Amino acid sequence: MNASVETRARILGRIRSATERVAKAPTQLADAYAALPRTYVRRGQKSNESKLELLIERLREYDAEVVECLEAGLASSIAAQLAASGKLVFVAPAGLPKEWLVSGFDWKIDHGLPAAEIELVEGVVTGASCAIADSGTIVLHHSESEGRRVITLLPDWHLCILRASQVVETLPEYFDRFSKPPALVTWVSGPSATADIEMTRIKGVHGPRFLHVILVRDETQDA
Amino acid sequence: MSTAILDPKIAPPFREAVLPVLRNPMLRKNVAHATQVIQNKRAKLVAEKTDWQELRSAASAIRMHVLENLGAYLEQFEERCTAAGGVVHWAADADEARAIILNLLRQENATEAIKIKTMTSAEIQLNPYLEAAGITVHETDLAEIILQLGKEEPSHIVVPALHINRSQVREIFSRTMGLKDLSDDPKELTGAARHYLREKFLRVPTAISGANFLIAETGSVAVVESEGNGRMCLTLPETIVTVVGIEKVLPRFQDLEVMLQVLARSATGERMNPYTSLWTGVTPGDGPQRFHVVLLDNERTSILARPKERQTLKCIRCAACMNHCPVYRQTGGHAYGSCYPGPIGAILTPQLMRMHHAESLPFASSLCGACVEVCPVKIDIPAVLLDLRADAVNIERKQAKRAFDLMYIGLRVANTVFARPWIFHTAQWFGRIGLSAFTGKDGWIKWLPGLGSRWTENRDLRGLPKQTFHEWWAARAKETR
Repeated sequence: MNASVETRARILGRIRSATERVAKAPTQLADAYAALPRTYVRRGQKSNESKLELLIERLREYDAEVVECLEAGLASSIAAQLAASGKLVFVAPAGLPKEWLVSGFDWKIDHGLPAAEIELVEGVVTGASCAIADSGTIVLHHSESEGRRVITLLPDWHLCILRASQVVETLPEYFDRFSKPPALVTWVSGPSATADIEMTRIKGVHGPRFLHVILVRDETQDA
Repeated sequence: MSTAILDPKIAPPFREAVLPVLRNPMLRKNVAHATQVIQNKRAKLVAEKTDWQELRSAASAIRMHVLENLGAYLEQFEERCTAAGGVVHWAADADEARAIILNLLRQENATEAIKIKTMTSAEIQLNPYLEAAGITVHETDLAEIILQLGKEEPSHIVVPALHINRSQVREIFSRTMGLKDLSDDPKELTGAARHYLREKFLRVPTAISGANFLIAETGSVAVVESEGNGRMCLTLPETIVTVVGIEKVLPRFQDLEVMLQVLARSATGERMNPYTSLWTGVTPGDGPQRFHVVLLDNERTSILARPKERQTLKCIRCAACMNHCPVYRQTGGHAYGSCYPGPIGAILTPQLMRMHHAESLPFASSLCGACVEVCPVKIDIPAVLLDLRADAVNIERKQAKRAFDLMYIGLRVANTVFARPWIFHTAQWFGRIGLSAFTGKDGWIKWLPGLGSRWTENRDLRGLPKQTFHEWWAARAKETR
């Protein structure tokens, strides 16, 4: 690939000469980056309770269904959501806690299921890594309990279980919490949507059309 | 339906290209409606953000810092992306980028590819090239599928089919998908597209994408979208090829805390777009196992070399400038003769063409400054427009016989007249008499002969008032004395 090596050198050479008056020396680059102005809001001012209320309000604006429960009532809350969905076949990531796999439903555990099989499943149940109240965003890092990206994509119905301690108020707070960048991230803000036809918002183009969230309150958290 | 030409090399000059649009009331209505809806949504969500100006300052500073240190950050991106299992390619121009992508698809024995909406691929005119090479390209964004099936051209960079209304979409879908009973309800139309594309997502093993951001620190790529077609293309295929301009890099993962906040609000008037995906090279067991990035120069380094024009490359393609532009809102996107319309297109396209083509675009502006006010990365578009106008005039002046062009003679005469009050007043007097013949009862001039037609062929001109300011002032002084 000689041509490619040559092109690379040529482009980098053009960049170097275009920026030679303004580019920082390698030893000063980190300092220049650190000196960039960041006077925007980092931390929210809300109490824990009103932060959670804001998240719920935002999620509902996206037509997501949100229910709250205590840790002890989680399994029965999951069962109630699944039953109300009218669906029977659910996919779950391999690392989903066993007690979340409530009985009475057909569970497909994802140990690398082919896409065609996931396509036939009616819904998916996962955990999450974080939620951002300000924008109603759920963040998936696709860990063992959140599953591979495909399982939260093909099924039409997604139940996401979120702990109150995972909720932050602002987007910068999320980045503070995960200073070590994950390899895979999906930020989900409501169900898939489009406004491509006359700016009319339509829910559910691809991806799950129905997003349900169970917010698990932890009584030991601050009030 | 459309006869729009979006290749700057062959597109007619702006003032000719706008004529069919200005005479098409349906198109103008569609464009005005869409831009008004986005304007209102954006205004509401920007107003609720108490730190909006601070976010803009940070976004602008980060983007400028990247451009000034582009070499270092690109090399870092390349190193980290490669370490994570990605393959990085460099393309000096559109030809090279297309050849690299075709070669990669041939290595996969691909006869089809699914595609996420990418303006960069439109810039290099990838689709017709691949089709000519025997590869069927399936656009998967709803707007792009409307355009592809309707053989239409995009007229906006975020909502590319905003010039097409629901009954036109119904006509396109029912004809090309064979759905006779389709109604024009956007929900039903969207459902038809979902069904049509699902089979392709599950079957086609090769995908092409663009990228909103590259992260130097990690070698990751981020794609911002609404519909989930992006997630489908990034997750289901075996191979993904991402084509991206070299300017799209950000230093760190954390910089997304600024960019994601300003981008969705500016682009679609949402607090956050429904889906943003970030991936890093190849993840075993999850998503495509072969990943290629094509880093495209295509004259970006020439823009980078000019201090005033450099800021053009800060753009994050939110389209707020076009939604707020009084010119774009009248003309829509096609008149710009490029996949990048509106104010950003008016500065980007001629520079991508090194001013050899699209040199009329810097003049397609009233310099009102609405674009710079809404730009989330604070690109001073009017300043760049003015600089490019000077370039265009300088090039034109160098061409033979231009010294005898009526326009230049006229401007030289104007120079003399405007510098001497008594000549100016005399000229005003003659002008008023001369123009009165062309002024309608409503006080507007709709047609002028000769050189004057250059103005009136695209817009009306206010007739001169019966009294000048000087005359009014003098009369007023007499009265109050």
